Amino acid sequence: MSGVRLDGIVKKYGALQVVHGVDLDVSPGEFVVLVGPSGCGKSTTLRMIAGLEEISGGAATIDGRVVNRVAPKDRDVAMVFQNYALYPHLNVADNIAFGLRIRKESKEAIAKSVEEVAGILGLTPYLDRRPADLSGGQRQRVAMGRAIVRRPKVFLFDEPLSNLDAKLRTQMRAEIKRLHNRLGATSIYVTHDQVEAMTLADRIVVMSDGRIEQIGTPMDLFNNPVNTFVAGFIGSPPMNQFEAIVESDGDGPTARLGETVIRLPKLKELEQANGRKVTVGIRPEHVLLHPADGTTPVPVDVDLVETLGSEALLHMHVGEMPFVVKAETQGDVSHLHAVRTLHFQDDLIKVFDGDTGRAYGLPSVA
Amino acid sequence: MANMNLYSRGDKTFVRINMVLVGLFTLSTLYPFLYILAMSFSSGFAARAGLVVLSPVDATLGAYSRILSEPAFWNSYKNTFIYTFGGTFVSLLIVIPGAYALSRPQLLGRRFWNLMVAFTMWFNAGMIPFWLNMRDLGLLDSYFGIIIGFAVNAFNIILLRNFFESIPSSFEEAARMDGANEFQVLWKVFVPLSKPAIATITLFCIVARWNGFFWAMVLLTDEGKIPLQVYLRHTITALSDDDEFAGSLLTATYSVETVTAAIIVCSIIPVLLIYPFVQKYFNKGILLGGVKE
Amino acid sequence: MTVPHDPIMTASPEEQVVEAREALRDRMKRRAVWVGEHFRREWQLYVLLAPTIIWFILFLYKPMYGLQIAFKDYSVFRGIQGSPWVGLEHFQTLFGSDQFQRALSNTIKLSALSLLVGFPAPIILALMFNEILNQTYKKTAQTIVYLPHFISSVIIAGIIITAFSPSAGIVNTVLGWFGLEPIYFLIKPEWFRPIFIGSGIWQEAGFSSIVFLAAIAGVNPSLYESAVVDGASRWQMMWKITIPSILPTIIIMLIIRIGNLLEVSFEMIILLYQPATYSTADVVNTYIYRNGLQGGQYDLAAAAGFFNAVMAFILVMTANTISKRYSRTSLW
Repeated sequence: MSGVRLDGIVKKYGALQVVHGVDLDVSPGEFVVLVGPSGCGKSTTLRMIAGLEEISGGAATIDGRVVNRVAPKDRDVAMVFQNYALYPHLNVADNIAFGLRIRKESKEAIAKSVEEVAGILGLTPYLDRRPADLSGGQRQRVAMGRAIVRRPKVFLFDEPLSNLDAKLRTQMRAEIKRLHNRLGATSIYVTHDQVEAMTLADRIVVMSDGRIEQIGTPMDLFNNPVNTFVAGFIGSPPMNQFEAIVESDGDGPTARLGETVIRLPKLKELEQANGRKVTVGIRPEHVLLHPADGTTPVPVDVDLVETLGSEALLHMHVGEMPFVVKAETQGDVSHLHAVRTLHFQDDLIKVFDGDTGRAYGLPSVA
Repeated sequence: MANMNLYSRGDKTFVRINMVLVGLFTLSTLYPFLYILAMSFSSGFAARAGLVVLSPVDATLGAYSRILSEPAFWNSYKNTFIYTFGGTFVSLLIVIPGAYALSRPQLLGRRFWNLMVAFTMWFNAGMIPFWLNMRDLGLLDSYFGIIIGFAVNAFNIILLRNFFESIPSSFEEAARMDGANEFQVLWKVFVPLSKPAIATITLFCIVARWNGFFWAMVLLTDEGKIPLQVYLRHTITALSDDDEFAGSLLTATYSVETVTAAIIVCSIIPVLLIYPFVQKYFNKGILLGGVKE
Repeated sequence: MTVPHDPIMTASPEEQVVEAREALRDRMKRRAVWVGEHFRREWQLYVLLAPTIIWFILFLYKPMYGLQIAFKDYSVFRGIQGSPWVGLEHFQTLFGSDQFQRALSNTIKLSALSLLVGFPAPIILALMFNEILNQTYKKTAQTIVYLPHFISSVIIAGIIITAFSPSAGIVNTVLGWFGLEPIYFLIKPEWFRPIFIGSGIWQEAGFSSIVFLAAIAGVNPSLYESAVVDGASRWQMMWKITIPSILPTIIIMLIIRIGNLLEVSFEMIILLYQPATYSTADVVNTYIYRNGLQGGQYDLAAAAGFFNAVMAFILVMTANTISKRYSRTSLW
């Protein structure tokens, strides 16, 4: 078991810098997901760990050894590629065995490993087939088999599910998670899909523009985003955000949302920020349709109700501002059309600085 | 629209006339071959008298027995095989690794090397300096000279290089992470993935080699080393310039025309045998050949 | 690692020069280290490249060095290096020579005629193939018309010589049926061009049609379907849809042909021409072959070759530039 550490990793292509000093510590056996919009540097970071891209600055450490100058084959990592990179001229067994053959392992050892891996992945009936004769999910499994069979210290996944349709993606996601639970190997997984990140990760690394925005457990990121970027990226539908000025009514900080004044969380930082421009964020899930203790009522106009089944999305306006709410249907949506008022709980409201986008109320050392 | 039932009357007429015209062109392409075939089985007198039109006249195997009993013919046939297969093998041995290296983004001076290859498509020194160079290298009258001197051409390299470039980089990367070195990446991944392109240039080479004539004529003076095409040329020259020699070849069973025809038939047969493969890949090849630098 | 620069300590000009020089040396040293490491890691790539590069140098670039004999009084004994320079003497000789001028004008006439007659042939053929509905018929016809492309020029010349022979040839046999006197086609200068160009079309029209067929296959089928619904005839669709759609391909191919205008298939000419037909058949390359390889006038022939190569190079480059402008993609 071995971990991966990145210390101020930088990637430059000539004058163009695409990764600006990434620090990350992945513990042995941990499943870490790098997530972010395309072009945020997550794939480049992964490829630097793999050794497919030269590291322009900083250090990458695998299992306590700095690997900046180590060839990919000597890093003892395996990677699952987005397009699987299965050799079309080899059958499943030979595809899985490819790396072992290159490493000149004995025939018996190879046969044994292939058989074992095929068993784990349910590929035993397909060992003689060529990739062209496999379904998308089976190909995906062969690609994983090729990684697993080498028993590497670290698994790297580069958007492995993005070529699958939605249904298969959900299924394979669960399978990857199960596999990780079984093998317990250190895994670094890149995706642009925040749902994949949330479901798979022990810890998520949110990146944007070549920098880490936040590292944390899925619930951490959901409940305590450190800035507006993470708040907008994690969660579906995204957090409602609107600009406001911090005011005070003597009882604590408030902000004006349309015609209504809502209460902001009672944070010391906020109480001192009277008159500052801020972004107020409210998750679609964090709104009540019925009054409760200490909630602020806000009048709204519902434009549209999108039914998802057990839940529904309510598209509405608070004053001039669009606002989305996720509500349970309880088998019927007619009552949702009739919603005229929302009830905000002040401790579930997030407030971010209007200039820096940083959340209020973070621990002093981020 | 593969069904003519839905065509208007005018369209039906148009399509039928077109079919007839295509048929005529096709027959006119085919006819010279049939004519030569008929000629090769005709008697010398019939051929000389211009009686052969479509089928053999006074059918005889005389011309064939004449050339098949000629050691020089067999020798030139053997030489053609050496030049064709030896040459194609050497071509692939140089072109495949070269095209691979030129396709790798990490190659230093890649633009320069590629330009160096492509430039020869636009400018070459020409016949005389090439010949003098072959002479200076001691490659006149040499099997090896013919094989190596024409082993590479820019077009094949660029065609294959473009194909290699179109292979997604993840194949190479996956093989690298599996521990493959450059040679293994080429041999175990790129070559199997590029079978259609390699088949195309192999066939390009085979056909070009089999048909190669001018340089074999110029570089080889030793009759024992000449390929079939040059041998055929010698026979034809005898036919066209030297009537006395042509007359001496005339017997009841064969004439220089029927002998020429028989050699032509013998040298076309191997081309016809690989033609089905050639056709399959050349269609692709000529389209791959939308050569981009 | 760069040394942090203190902005308060302004360096004198001399110091700045020294500093710049050191920075440059430092950068070059780092570059050298990087290159060294690159070769240590990637040497296999250069092993794979080497045979190709060596071959190009030995067989194509070394002769370019030998091209200097075009400007020298070359003799076999003195060699390329040892022969004295004579400037443009060979070029003056060439342009003063009727034979060379004839060869040049024949080259241009033959290519221009081939282009004029030969270029439309594969396009027409492709359009005709496209109108054939019976796939078996189409495939068979295609297989046959592609075949001559793969036949060597010696064989084609052999067929021509046999077919046009005055006594034995089928052409004169047919003329005889109409009571015409036999013609010795191959020694008549006026017959050389028709025979050469005709055999060229016979050999290449089919195969060249592949490019146009591919272009036709790329036309969006719904264009035809909507035309059918609008009541267009096959003939109208050919003119209104197919030809405009493949026009870019036609123009590109035309530009390529013009770029290769000086490249007459001289192998075929060598096989077919005779002293009697030199007046129409002798082209620059056959001139070079006769005077250089057969006549031993290497320097003069090399000069003719050099002139030819430079003209061809200019033509190709011009064609490429034009096509780049036209299609925004270069031919290479």
